[in-house]
Amino acid sequence: MPGSNGMLREISRRTALGALGAGIVGATVASWPRLTGMDIPGRGDNSLSIAIMGTAADAAARQRVIDAFTRVHPEIPVKVQAIQAVDWKDFFTKILTMVAAGTPPDVVYVATEGAQLFAEKLAHPLDDYLRRDAADMKEYFADVHPSLVEAFMYKGSLFQLPIDWNAANMYYNTSALQQAGLDRPADNWTQVDFRNSLAAMRKARPSDFTPYYWTNRLFGGVVPWLYANDTSFLKETKSTGGEWFWDSFYAQDPSRKLRSGGYQWLEPNADDPRVYETFDYLRGLVKDGLGVRPEEGGGSSLIGLFASNRIGMTPAGGYWVEGLHEAGMAEDGFDVQFFPRWRTQRHQFGTAGYAIMKTAKDKDAAWEWVKFSSSLEAMRLVFPTPNTTPARRSMVNAELYAGRGPKHWKVFYDTLDKFPTTGPIPAPAQEAAVETALMKNVSLAVSGDERQLKQALDSMQRDLEIALRRQ
Amino acid sequence: MSTATRPTSATRRGGAAANNHPNGRQRQRWLPWAFLAPTIVGMGLFTLVPIVASVVLAFFRWDIISPPSFVGFDNFAQVAQDPTVRVSFLNTIGFVVVAVALQLGLALALAIMVQEKLPSWLRVFFRSAFFFPLILSAASVSIFMRYLFNEQFGVVNWLLSFIGIPAVPWLTTPTGSAAVVILVYVWQNFGFSFLLFIGGLASIPTETYEAASLDGATGWRKHVHVTLPLLSPTTLVASVMAIINALQVFDQPYVLTGGGPGDSTRTAVMVIFESAFQRLEFGQASAIGVILTLIIMAITALQFRLSKRFVFYQ
Repeated sequence: MPGSNGMLREISRRTALGALGAGIVGATVASWPRLTGMDIPGRGDNSLSIAIMGTAADAAARQRVIDAFTRVHPEIPVKVQAIQAVDWKDFFTKILTMVAAGTPPDVVYVATEGAQLFAEKLAHPLDDYLRRDAADMKEYFADVHPSLVEAFMYKGSLFQLPIDWNAANMYYNTSALQQAGLDRPADNWTQVDFRNSLAAMRKARPSDFTPYYWTNRLFGGVVPWLYANDTSFLKETKSTGGEWFWDSFYAQDPSRKLRSGGYQWLEPNADDPRVYETFDYLRGLVKDGLGVRPEEGGGSSLIGLFASNRIGMTPAGGYWVEGLHEAGMAEDGFDVQFFPRWRTQRHQFGTAGYAIMKTAKDKDAAWEWVKFSSSLEAMRLVFPTPNTTPARRSMVNAELYAGRGPKHWKVFYDTLDKFPTTGPIPAPAQEAAVETALMKNVSLAVSGDERQLKQALDSMQRDLEIALRRQ
Repeated sequence: MSTATRPTSATRRGGAAANNHPNGRQRQRWLPWAFLAPTIVGMGLFTLVPIVASVVLAFFRWDIISPPSFVGFDNFAQVAQDPTVRVSFLNTIGFVVVAVALQLGLALALAIMVQEKLPSWLRVFFRSAFFFPLILSAASVSIFMRYLFNEQFGVVNWLLSFIGIPAVPWLTTPTGSAAVVILVYVWQNFGFSFLLFIGGLASIPTETYEAASLDGATGWRKHVHVTLPLLSPTTLVASVMAIINALQVFDQPYVLTGGGPGDSTRTAVMVIFESAFQRLEFGQASAIGVILTLIIMAITALQFRLSKRFVFYQ
C-alpha cells in the first residue's frame, strides 16, 4: 500500500501534535461533567438527590416510586443514586467520602447499623415535620410497630421512618426435620430444645449436612443468642425524651411504657457472665459438630446451601424468602419459627429508612420524599416481592408470601407483637469499630477450649473499650 | 527505495540548521519538558501530593465530617500503644518472611525446570500458565478460594475426604487461615518472579555451564555454583519487588478471613484501611501508613546494602 504509506508520511509532526492536542481538548470537553462531578445525580441542578445501597438496577426499580412521587409533587425533581457496597458499613463509608468530597446526597437510605452515626453527625431530625404533619402521619404509625420506630430515636428525636425491617428468626429445612423424626418446634421452644433438634438432625444425616449454620456478623450471628439470654456484648441503656412523640402517635399502644428517647450503647459488656454462658453454649454446638465455626460474610452462599438441603437451621429474616424461592426451594421446603427462648425470647432486628442530611439543599422537599416513601402506595411499589419485611404490618400478609412460603409467615411480624422488648442491632455511632471488635473475637471464642473462650472475651472487652472511646 | 530519499519536513525546513536558529534553540529547551509534563503532572498529582498529604495528615485528627485538628505526635503515640497495630505489623513481617521465601523458591525451581527440562513449545505454555493468576483480580480469586476452602462444603475438604483426612477448619483457625492466605497469595504472585528468573536464566551464557562441566560440575553443583551466583542480580530485583508487594498485602486476607480469627491474619494495610474507612480516623491511618513506608524503605535499603556482598554481576 505505497499510497497510504505515502499519505501517512505526509503528516508532519506539527499536524500530529496538533491532532493530539485537539484530541485531548475534545476528550476533556466530552468528559467535563464526569471530571467535575456534574453528572452526580442532583448536583448542579435543584433535584433532590437520594442515595440508596444497591446497583443501577435497584435505582431503576425505584423509578415507579419516583414517577408516583412526581405525580404528587411535580415541583420536586428527584434523582436516585445507587451506590454499590459489600455491606452497610461499606455503604456508609462511601457516603462519608461523598460528604468529604463536597457532594453529599440530600437523602440517604440508612439501616440500623448506621442510624446513630447519621443521627449524631449527619442527619436532620424529623421532629418539626412530624409535629407539623401529625394528622397525615397517624395512619403510618398506626400500621408500624413502635419497636421499629424506637430504633430510629436518638437522644429524644426521631431521625428516620422505618420502611423495611428483618428480625433474626430461625429458618428450618422441613425435610431435614422430618428425616430426624421431629415436628415443627413450639413457639416457646428453648435453647435446650434447639440443641436436641440439632442432635437429632445430625444423627439422621451424619455427612454432607450441617444442622446449624451461622455466620460471624452483627446481624444473625452471636447477638440473637445474647439477646435470648437477656444480655448483650454492649451495655444497653435508653435515653430520656421523645415523650411528645410517643404520646402523639402511640398513646394507646400496649407497649407505650417501654418506649424511650432511643437506645444507647456506651459501655462494653463482654465480661458479663451471661455473655460467657452464651458463647460457651455456642462453643458446645461447634465442639459437638452440631454447628459450624462461623466464617465472616453475609451468607450469600448460604441460600444455595440451604436450598440444596444441606443445612438444617439458620437464623435469618424475611428478606430470605424471595432468595430461597429464586434458588428453587418449594414453599413447603422450608419454614420459619421464633428464635429459641433462653432467659427471655427477645429477638434482634434491623430496620432501614430514609434520613435527611443536615446539608440537604431543600429539607422541606426531602421531607416530602420521606413522607411519601412511608405511604402505603409507595411501599407497595417498592416491595412487590418478599425480599425484605415491610415495616407496615398491613403489607405483611398472605398475598405477599403466596406461592413462595413460608407457611408460618406470620412469625415475621408476630415477633414484634409477642416479644415487645425485641431490640435493634446494637449499633452506636462507632458501629464500624464495634462490629470489628465483636467479629474478630467470635471465631476464637467458639473454636477452642474454655481458656481460649475466656481469652477471646477478655480481648473483646478490651477492643470494645477502645472502640467506644473513639468518636 | 525512493522513500528513503524523500525529504522529511525537518530537512525541508533546513534540518540541523534550524537548531541553530534562536527559535529552534528555544524550542529545544522546552520540548523535553513538554514531553515530560504529562508524567510529571501525573506523578505530582497522584503520587507526590498524596504522599505529602499523608505525612501531613499523620499529625492531624480528621474524621471527614469535622474539620481536621492538629494533634502533634498523638497519632503515632496511639498507634504505638494499639495492640492490634502491633500484632498486624508482626503478622505482616511473618507473612513476608514465609510468603516471599515460598514465592521466590517456587518461582526459581519452576523456572529452572521449565527452562532446562521442557521442550520449547511446552516452555511457552508454562510461562503463560504460571503468569496467568497474576492478571486475575485478587479479590475475585479470594472470593473463589473462600468457597474452595469452606470447612463444610468446600472442594478442598471434599477431596481430602477421599484419602481419609477429616474436614480441616481452613478459614476459622489461626493456623489454617494463615496457611490459606499465604497459599493463595503465593499461587497468585509467584508468576511474576518466575518470569524474572526465566529472563535471568536465559541471559546466563551456555559457555559458563560448559566450562563448569569441564571442571567436573554435575547437575546440582552446577546450579549451586553457577546458576545461583549468576542469577543473583535477578534474585535481588525479584526479592526487592516481592518484599515490597508482600508488605502491602491486603486483598487476600481481607476477603478470605477479614483478618481473623482474632487478629491472626490482620495485616498492616488492613489496619490502615480499617482506621481510615471504617473508624474514620484518617490521621491515625496516615501515621500507620508513614510507619509502613519507613519500614519498606529501610528493608529495601538494607537489601541493596547486602547486595554489594551477595550479588555478582558478570
